[in-house]
Amino acid sequence: MTDFDLDRLGDVWRQQLDPAEMERLQRTAAAVGRRARWAQILDILAGAAASVVVIFLVWTNPHFETFLLGGAAILVLLVSNVRLRKLRQVELRSLTGSTEDMLEQSINRLETTLKYKRFSLIAIGPALVVGFLLAWAAGANPGVLVAPALRLVWRGTTFAVLAGVVVYLVFAIRRERRELQRLRAMRESYRLEGESSAS
Amino acid sequence: MTGVVDVQQSAVPAAPHRGNGNGPVPPFERIVADYGPLISRIAMSYEADPSLREDLTQQIFLAVWQALPSFRSDSSLKTFIARVAQNRSISFVTKQVRQPRLAELPEKLEADTLNPEESAIEVNERELLLEATRRLPLPQRQVIILVLEGFDYSEIAEMLDIAPNALALRLSRAKAALKSMLEQRQ
Repeated sequence: MTDFDLDRLGDVWRQQLDPAEMERLQRTAAAVGRRARWAQILDILAGAAASVVVIFLVWTNPHFETFLLGGAAILVLLVSNVRLRKLRQVELRSLTGSTEDMLEQSINRLETTLKYKRFSLIAIGPALVVGFLLAWAAGANPGVLVAPALRLVWRGTTFAVLAGVVVYLVFAIRRERRELQRLRAMRESYRLEGESSAS
Repeated sequence: MTGVVDVQQSAVPAAPHRGNGNGPVPPFERIVADYGPLISRIAMSYEADPSLREDLTQQIFLAVWQALPSFRSDSSLKTFIARVAQNRSISFVTKQVRQPRLAELPEKLEADTLNPEESAIEVNERELLLEATRRLPLPQRQVIILVLEGFDYSEIAEMLDIAPNALALRLSRAKAALKSMLEQRQ
């Protein structure tokens, strides 16, 4: 490879895939296509099933409250569907647009996620205080919790869940911070490349 | 420039996807048959680890499947797929905690028409090329991959959304870096 000829390197690069490798690739793609189709079908079916259940409940209990609840449930379904569609469109735009735009969008998205997770981590402290206050208030009223053993299980579960959430958030924040650094470094390399091309 | 153009453009078979406006798009299976090798090579040039590469390849297929309805015929399908594959690969690489591994021989690279000796040389050459490509900075790697894939300047400039002179400069830097890396490996 001493002569640097891109045409020849292109020929080396585009060597035909081994037939077995090609077959494996086609199997992978077929599985991906099948999963994507099923996900689409399940999406539609889940929406339809939820709507049917709500309509059935309203139909069998024709009261103002059920109308209200049913309407709210349908609204939530619609809003979440619209939101999901918008998210997919954004994802699609970043896939089919320029790399620099994609990096910019990814950085913005990750910054927002990080802010949200940091806020959640900070909010756990005050939430714990409120939780203890509520538990204390409940403890002052013996009628609320039945047995001390049950109370212990309840507190233990709450503590385990909270500890799990804290650990998850700490690790997620560290991972996403590293990802953000990599994204920024990439954006910087594109920017430098662009600046040196312009000068 | 390489002068190699879209040799894999296919005829339009039955039951196509609906493109976004200008005519039908071949079904996914046909696209995989025609552009699977392109997708596989792009995945190889971004990920050296075989299991992660398999994951990346699946993600690219899924991205192509999802993006296909938005394809417009104002660019070629090959250009569209290469763009989606590169963008997905870059976002995949950023999610990896470790840096991409450098030297690893991708499985079964040899062409089945070559004799064992020729085949070994070709595999070694391709391995070196892949390894060197993976070590290029991303902006240069993107350009080199597209050139090696046989896209012409105007297609590459359009795909990367940069001016032709900026592309020429980036390519000359990428070529110099690639050449130096390949020479070091001799």
